[in-house]
Amino acid sequence: MTNKVSKTLALMLATGVVLGGCSNGGSGGGSSAGGDGNEIKDLVIPKLATRELETFNVLYSQRNEDFENLTNLVDGLLEHDPKGNLVPALATEWGTEDNGVTWTFKLRDGVKWVDMNQNEKADCVAQDFATGLEWVLNYHKNQSSNTSMPIDMIRGAEEYYEYTKSLPEAEAKALTAGEGSKFLEMVGIAIPDDHTVVYTCKSPKPYFDTLGTYASLYPMSQAMVDELGGADAVAAMNNENMWYNGCYTMTEYIQDNEKVFTKNEKYWDAESQRFDTVTFKMVESNDVAYQLFESGEVDYVDLTESNVKTISGDENHKFHNYMVDALPLKFSFQFHWNYNKNKEDGKPDVNWNTAIANESFRKSIYSGLDLTNYLKRFNPIDPFKVENNYYTMKGLVSTSDGNDYVKLVHDKLKLGESDGKAPIRLDAAKGKEYKEKAMQELSAQGVTFPVGIDYYIPAKSQTALDSANVLKNAVESSLGNDYVQLNIKTFVSSLSKEVATPRVASFIGSGWGADYGDPVNYLSQLTLGDDNAYYATHYENIADLAETPATKELLAQFKEYTELVAKADAITDDLDKRYDAFAEAEAYLIDHALVLPASYEMGYCLTKFNIHDKMQAPYGMCNDKLKNIRSSADGYTVDDMKAILAE
Amino acid sequence: MFKYTVKRLLQSVVTVLTVVTIVFLLLRMLPTDYYFTEDQLMKFSEQQRTEQLEAAGLLDPVPEQLFRFYGQLIQGDLGESRRIQNGVPVTDVISKKFGISMQLGLISVAISLVVGVGMGVMQAKHKDRILDHTGTAYTIFVNAVPPLVSYSLILLFGSRILGLPSMYSNRNTGASSILPIVCLSLSSIAWYALWTRRYMIDELNKDYIKLARVKGMSNKEIMVKHVLRNAFVPLAQYLPASLLLTISGSLLAERFFSVPGMGPLMTDAISRYDTNIVQALVILYAALGIIGVFLGDVLMMIVDPRITLIDKEGGAR
Repeated sequence: MTNKVSKTLALMLATGVVLGGCSNGGSGGGSSAGGDGNEIKDLVIPKLATRELETFNVLYSQRNEDFENLTNLVDGLLEHDPKGNLVPALATEWGTEDNGVTWTFKLRDGVKWVDMNQNEKADCVAQDFATGLEWVLNYHKNQSSNTSMPIDMIRGAEEYYEYTKSLPEAEAKALTAGEGSKFLEMVGIAIPDDHTVVYTCKSPKPYFDTLGTYASLYPMSQAMVDELGGADAVAAMNNENMWYNGCYTMTEYIQDNEKVFTKNEKYWDAESQRFDTVTFKMVESNDVAYQLFESGEVDYVDLTESNVKTISGDENHKFHNYMVDALPLKFSFQFHWNYNKNKEDGKPDVNWNTAIANESFRKSIYSGLDLTNYLKRFNPIDPFKVENNYYTMKGLVSTSDGNDYVKLVHDKLKLGESDGKAPIRLDAAKGKEYKEKAMQELSAQGVTFPVGIDYYIPAKSQTALDSANVLKNAVESSLGNDYVQLNIKTFVSSLSKEVATPRVASFIGSGWGADYGDPVNYLSQLTLGDDNAYYATHYENIADLAETPATKELLAQFKEYTELVAKADAITDDLDKRYDAFAEAEAYLIDHALVLPASYEMGYCLTKFNIHDKMQAPYGMCNDKLKNIRSSADGYTVDDMKAILAE
Repeated sequence: MFKYTVKRLLQSVVTVLTVVTIVFLLLRMLPTDYYFTEDQLMKFSEQQRTEQLEAAGLLDPVPEQLFRFYGQLIQGDLGESRRIQNGVPVTDVISKKFGISMQLGLISVAISLVVGVGMGVMQAKHKDRILDHTGTAYTIFVNAVPPLVSYSLILLFGSRILGLPSMYSNRNTGASSILPIVCLSLSSIAWYALWTRRYMIDELNKDYIKLARVKGMSNKEIMVKHVLRNAFVPLAQYLPASLLLTISGSLLAERFFSVPGMGPLMTDAISRYDTNIVQALVILYAALGIIGVFLGDVLMMIVDPRITLIDKEGGAR
């Protein structure tokens, strides 16, 4: 219903565009020019109301919606450059001398904690990182948020977490990371001086430094905790009483309305180019944001599908030359097969379970499914920009010669290059061959055709329904409705709770965004024998799949895959070899169609700041840090962006 | 009157408690998975989830949870928000919002009363003429067109033609409140106009009006002193409730213009499983509704002295 409404609104807005005639889409009323007369000094960005901030405590948050605010307020050890490379933030240098067991971070001098009005409160020093980690690992202080990675990687972290859990709440909340504390005694962190933090991992973790961009390792000042009045007060802190060490302070916060970030004059990176103020305006929808962009009240808007069609279809549209590619989201979307499916009555769906366990059946879909029209739903102009053929997100890591990790996977899969006309992996003849083989093999096992594929979408989303219908057409026309039949079903509000947990879907489309920079973060989600393997245990349900004649080969393939991942993870002294081994595992996973890579999320936008200056990385929480970003009050054209990308 | 008031108050407390209990029980019937975000479901282990639920008391027997909740309620402790503003007392979350909703709502009610009743009077006075038809067309339009469409038209007209701010802003509350207020008033103007017209036409056809005309009273005198006064009686009953319920804000208008009020809070709290906020809002809205109805009865009695507040036994109080 929401989307129906949005469409109506879009129609009205489009009508308004015609009626309004020639409103200026150029320089924004919300922007004031400065410097050379064209730079924006006060940036205004719309944010959907659903992306409202829930907490000011960066150590507690696990949401991107919070991080896009908090990354501008608090800095951690490291951040990224626009190409995704790790660069110094509060740590000026870092490294390991024992293949990733011990990691030393040298901190810069002169970093200040300030209050909202930029009055100095204290120096930000190494002890603050110990206080931060203690907070994260203290069960009663942080309610288990952001613990998974430290517990997985840092020596003694799990033991300390369990220790705090065993304590009465008040006693646990009174713990600190000070000298002689239980925390420093138990956990693999050392503070030799004010400017050095040393972490000790459980085992070699050659990617541990990438965790330095994530909330789990962020600093917190004990003096702030004391000033606020203890753990409970920190949980409820707001922009007026929190301490900042980031590039802005939040000088105004009106929930569901707007937030104003003001340049922090005491920021350690004083030379960085920052806006005088940045305002996040909360809006009901992107259609409203578009209206605000038209009236010059905001400087950026993500375009809806109807906006894209309207603008791209009219060469005389005032925004025709301004519609540029938005930055891709950091999620690699897959179709995850459910190998242990139930019907809605809770009984096993034997027909589907038998079919999907058959490799020929899966590979007939892998090779024969033409997703072109489905991809057009995400990018109607250039659908192959969002075509995904890998499990890991591109750009996650690179080899020493600069090759993207997914290029290794690409080569191992012997995939061709895109011709811009059809998906790379589409091979109708091969698909047909696998289909015939699958029908023969499965008929012998008693499978009836067409095999029903149950696909669940949110009940209230017209967009999801439209996409699902396109997918249904793609599946049934590519593979034949004598073979498969896609049944579109709905859930009310929660995919996890209504679909994944009762295991009623044949497959679930899901995107994984990395928490740190290593392929293991992706690949370990599908391994056997690991309770934390999210997709194996929640979506594909392979973890508790019983071995039968039908599933024997499938389980053997997952075991093989798990061993390949473990073998790759054991290589810690040579990153190129490590990535190559992971690529081998990933290629195995995809080649056996154990998962089906689907798409990326990348749309179009109108912007008056250079989005390509933003920090870009598929992990960490820094991507929305608004520093060193060029802007143009006239907006960026397609040609401007081409020139920028060619730089 | 006093006895009646006390009786109504006691009934109100029982009603509020019943409503709150039902809502509390309904929330506890949801699967506990709803306590976690999709992210938390991904990142928390099974053990961590169980620990969280235990710590929140959600694994205790429901009667125990209910009586604990009553105990907190008696102490005025509505708990803390878990998702809307993590760790912040519910009263703080609500108190920052209700003032804004109420301010816009009261202005809107005032405008609606003046414009709506005025429009109804004019329609009744000029029945079946162009003014009446125009008013009826407005009423039909407002009721037939989905609010989002009419809001969009107002937004386009207001921001493009009149240059008004499209979004509510604390830095410019006056100008930025105009469009939300207009949108809030749209349907209530139509409502007041519709019913004022209807009740006035009913009154105009009554014998005492004919008598007044025969006695030589001026048309204006008849309309103001008799017709409007009598026609306003049924409308008066709803006035206190509409005034009080301005606190609850408007989901659609507030979301549309990014007004940081109470409107979207209930739906947000439900969808994000912020149970303490849901419970607090249910108590608040139930109490306001009940008080509104009671005050409506009182107002009717004031406006029309023939009406008295009586209990079922029939004795005047």
